[in-house]
Amino acid sequence: MPLKFLVDTHSNKCIKDKGCEAICKNYNNLPEGVYRIRVITINEGKPGQLNIPMPCLHCNNPPCMKVCPTKAIYKREDGIVLVNKDICIGCGYCAFACPFGAPQFEKGGAFGSKGKMDKCTFCVEPYNQKDEKGNRIEREPIPRCAMVCATECLLAGEQSEISRKLRERVGEYLATGRLESIFLNY
Amino acid sequence: MSFSFRLSRRNFMKLSAATVAVAAGLIKYRKQIFKKAEAQQIQEEAEKEDVKLVKTICTFCAVGCGILAKVKNGQFIGIEPWVNHPINGGKLCCKGASINHTVTSPKRLKYPLIKRNGKWEKISWEEALDIIAKKMMEVRRKYGPDSIFFAGSAKVSNEMAYLQRKFMAFWGSNNIDHQARICHSTTVAGLGNTWGYGAMTNNFNDIQNAKSIFFLSNPAEAHPVSFRYIYEAKKRGAVLICADPRFSRTAAVSDLHLQFRSGTDIPLIWGICHEIIKNGWYDEEFIKQRTYGFEKAKEIIMQYPPEVVEDITGVPAEKIRKAAYLLAHNRPGTLQYAMGATQHEVGTHNIRSFAILQLLLGNAAKPGGGVNAFRGHDNVQGATDMCVLSHSLPSYYGLSEKAWKHWCKVWNVDYEWLKGRFAEGMMTEKGFTMSRFAVGAVAGTDAFPETKNMKIKQPAPIKIIFWWGHSTPSIGDTKLVKKAFETVDLLVVVDPFVETAAVLADRPDGIILLPAATELEGSGSVTNSGRQVQWRNKVIDPLYDSKEDMWILLSLVKALDKYDPGIYEKFTVNFGNKPPEQITPEEVLDKEITVGSRAIGMIGQKSWRLKRQQEYDYTFSSKDCKAYGGPCDGEYWGLPWPCWNEQHPGTPILYRNDIPVWEGGHDFRVKWGTTHDGESLLSGVNGQDQVKIDGVLWLYNLETDYKEVLDKNMVPSGRGRARFYAWNLRDPVPVHREPVWTVRPDLAKKYPIYDDSDYGEFHYRVQIKAKSWQDAFINANGNKIFPLIYTTGRQVEHQGGGAETRANKILAELQPNMYVEINPKDANDRGIRDGDTVVVVSPRGLEYGAEVAHIYVKARVTHAVPPGQVFMPFHWGGVFQGKSYINRYPVVDNESLAPYVYGECANTANPVGWDQVTQMQNTKAGVCEVIRADKFNVEGFMAKVKNLAKALR
Repeated sequence: MPLKFLVDTHSNKCIKDKGCEAICKNYNNLPEGVYRIRVITINEGKPGQLNIPMPCLHCNNPPCMKVCPTKAIYKREDGIVLVNKDICIGCGYCAFACPFGAPQFEKGGAFGSKGKMDKCTFCVEPYNQKDEKGNRIEREPIPRCAMVCATECLLAGEQSEISRKLRERVGEYLATGRLESIFLNY
Repeated sequence: MSFSFRLSRRNFMKLSAATVAVAAGLIKYRKQIFKKAEAQQIQEEAEKEDVKLVKTICTFCAVGCGILAKVKNGQFIGIEPWVNHPINGGKLCCKGASINHTVTSPKRLKYPLIKRNGKWEKISWEEALDIIAKKMMEVRRKYGPDSIFFAGSAKVSNEMAYLQRKFMAFWGSNNIDHQARICHSTTVAGLGNTWGYGAMTNNFNDIQNAKSIFFLSNPAEAHPVSFRYIYEAKKRGAVLICADPRFSRTAAVSDLHLQFRSGTDIPLIWGICHEIIKNGWYDEEFIKQRTYGFEKAKEIIMQYPPEVVEDITGVPAEKIRKAAYLLAHNRPGTLQYAMGATQHEVGTHNIRSFAILQLLLGNAAKPGGGVNAFRGHDNVQGATDMCVLSHSLPSYYGLSEKAWKHWCKVWNVDYEWLKGRFAEGMMTEKGFTMSRFAVGAVAGTDAFPETKNMKIKQPAPIKIIFWWGHSTPSIGDTKLVKKAFETVDLLVVVDPFVETAAVLADRPDGIILLPAATELEGSGSVTNSGRQVQWRNKVIDPLYDSKEDMWILLSLVKALDKYDPGIYEKFTVNFGNKPPEQITPEEVLDKEITVGSRAIGMIGQKSWRLKRQQEYDYTFSSKDCKAYGGPCDGEYWGLPWPCWNEQHPGTPILYRNDIPVWEGGHDFRVKWGTTHDGESLLSGVNGQDQVKIDGVLWLYNLETDYKEVLDKNMVPSGRGRARFYAWNLRDPVPVHREPVWTVRPDLAKKYPIYDDSDYGEFHYRVQIKAKSWQDAFINANGNKIFPLIYTTGRQVEHQGGGAETRANKILAELQPNMYVEINPKDANDRGIRDGDTVVVVSPRGLEYGAEVAHIYVKARVTHAVPPGQVFMPFHWGGVFQGKSYINRYPVVDNESLAPYVYGECANTANPVGWDQVTQMQNTKAGVCEVIRADKFNVEGFMAKVKNLAKALR
């Protein structure tokens, strides 16, 4: 089963404490302007307000990968979509193709962005992919954003595990007779 | 021996890590094992990269989250989630998740600096301390010991906070105060007067047992990690009700939102209580057995039916009925609040009304219930317990002769000697507070037209201000505070960063900046909001030339010793008179704090126990904070006080009388005698008076370990009753009182603020006006000039005055903006568009003859605030009434020490009004007008407020 992110927008709603954004920047040494994950808000200030953390969704059939002219984007066996910055030319095609705004570029340059594309790596790679000796860094796939998420609205792991967790949550609502409250306004 | 043990242990760790890693491959994401695999893999990864993981405690809000600091070659390179931590379990908000960038920020104050001839100059520690000591003695000789004001800190460890209080005691003045005054002082007064202790009754973990949660603050932004337990409760069926003037992020995830007008907490609560009483939903048995004065409270409460409340608060009566129904039918329910409730003229009574609601419902003193004061700083509970406050000695002993004698015994000094250090009669006199200390400096001067008429209750004004780990933006009336900084002879700012105070004052000299290490560069114990004491480990050595707070304070005493011989010896007699660098926080905690702090039962929290808990963190359950098995078996995490002795497990839930005291049982305190008006004040269950041991009242007895008392299941502080009716307060039962400056003059007639005389001639050494200013404001039609309600609050990315967070590059990037939130209706009526620069004008300053307070901010047009209300975050500094002070920040080694982001202090425009009990400032219910910046000029506006200005003076 592939590794995935999923955001619970029904029961454990995001409170936008931005722990995910901060730990991601901190752990992966991201430069200014690069957000591998970002929390967006819809209906701000009104009933129905919803905050949604938006990481890369590591699509099963990633559009960014399909359009990459240099084949710099690839998908690992465990489902993680990565970019090889050695061959990325920073054209930005991926940013066009991605419906979720996942591809990121460092701030600066004539068009307000510069350098190679960077994106969520499920925490396996920091921003600078290589260590002092020039070897590509590879870490365990433990996304820190999901680990620090105070509300556990951001779930990460194998797809089967995530759906089990969601079912558990809904089950608790069923058991307490409040299932409708997650679909209807109280 | 110990070396070889460590070696073998590490080998063992490696071995076990390997086995788990294999297992983790197979069953990686199963429940529980998933967690274990995460923690294990983080540990492994750290070992692979030769990184040391140091367990430490976050230094931002008071949830007390654990963090693993990654240290490589003595460098603080990052953080990891502390998965086994019983409170946060690895969960963090953006502040905790980027804390290493605060510590390693290039904006840190690197060396001691002194301002001379308008320039910042480097200076050595010895010289700086000598200049300060010399000046202190000069002021002492010329004006007396009370001419120093010491702003202490809630950001330091318990040990340091305690030493700050002790320092001012030895100096001979009570002019010491800290953040708690403007944070939860009204909690201490409100809850203390209701049931004995003024602290959060339960803890964060316990929220998961609640069936209903009543929010009176915005924990989603102020205490995000508490949502770990709030959602756990919700999952189990809890109803969430949020009362907030704004549609906050907490309101957005709640089931019911009560959008009330700022400053009307009491009527809102009374409306709910009215419905509960009317429908007979109250807990009769609980009220009969464990409380006092229900009938008297009922009389008042019944004057607030939902329809009346609707008129006062703006909340529809139907919603109030619904809230009452939900609270009554989902028990036990917990209630939480923070600054939105405390920072009012009636703060003490706001908090009392919350407690009374919980007493009515029988929600007090049980798991899943309680009144939970969410505190602001990581150690504000601890610093409050250590009473860095102008009206008490550590552990809330007060300033009576008996209290002084108690602490003199702990300090091992002669009471008469200490008395001689004070000016005549000032030893038992409450000192200035954080909210009004500025008056102590400017009184009698020509700073503003009216300041020469200001009177203070001490022989001479303040001449030296110590600003030790306190922020300026969080204090109201920035204009007067600025003037105070300019008036005094010397301003000493001790902080890891260049705090706003250092640049706010227009003065070419007379400021000394001392670089304190951040709290992660030192060790010590910290108490979180739930009274849980945790040991914070030192992550790295202090960077640059910064020093640990304790070293700075002890070195200052040492420097004073040159001019005031013998003071260092007396100050450190219990620590063997060792030099400053050799005195450890462990000694301070074990030899003084836990010896003398008996009134709160901070006795069993010895450093070795705290460290042992930290080592065996995994034996504690996050369900009830209790250790099952292992060396800490039966102990509660953090040994929450009262922890009566070294065998006691701590009291996680206050006043719970259904379990033995040895297992954390407790009861309402007997504090106001055993009878009143012919009724017993002892509990109807197993009532008992305060305990005397060998003829000495329990809190003054330094010899006992209370074992015999506990064996009989008696509580040393007695088993009493909670008070609906507190006869010693101005309002024995809370009643609504309109804020001094109110937008509803019609209501002020029926619900007036306190008379000026209610504050006495002097209130914490200054004079306070209330009713006369309310009348003046109303008579001059102030509400027509200032029709909008002013309120302030937090941004999740920043903390307090923002010195630490605005200098953290990640947090500065996540939230670079100071703004005013305004409803589209109000904005459109004023021709304001989203993003426009606007001026928020308030009458503040008119009362002492200054111009109106006016601050320049960006407009954020949003439905989150209702029409008629504006909201501003208060973390910002560096700009004052449109003038940027950024170029005043020192430049050290070619790096400007100005924070990455800066803005206006919202509190420049806060209203007048102070709590009648504690002198809490009001920052939540004021008045203002918002004007587009291009349409505003001060002179024009002053002409408009001429009458009001005259009336207020």
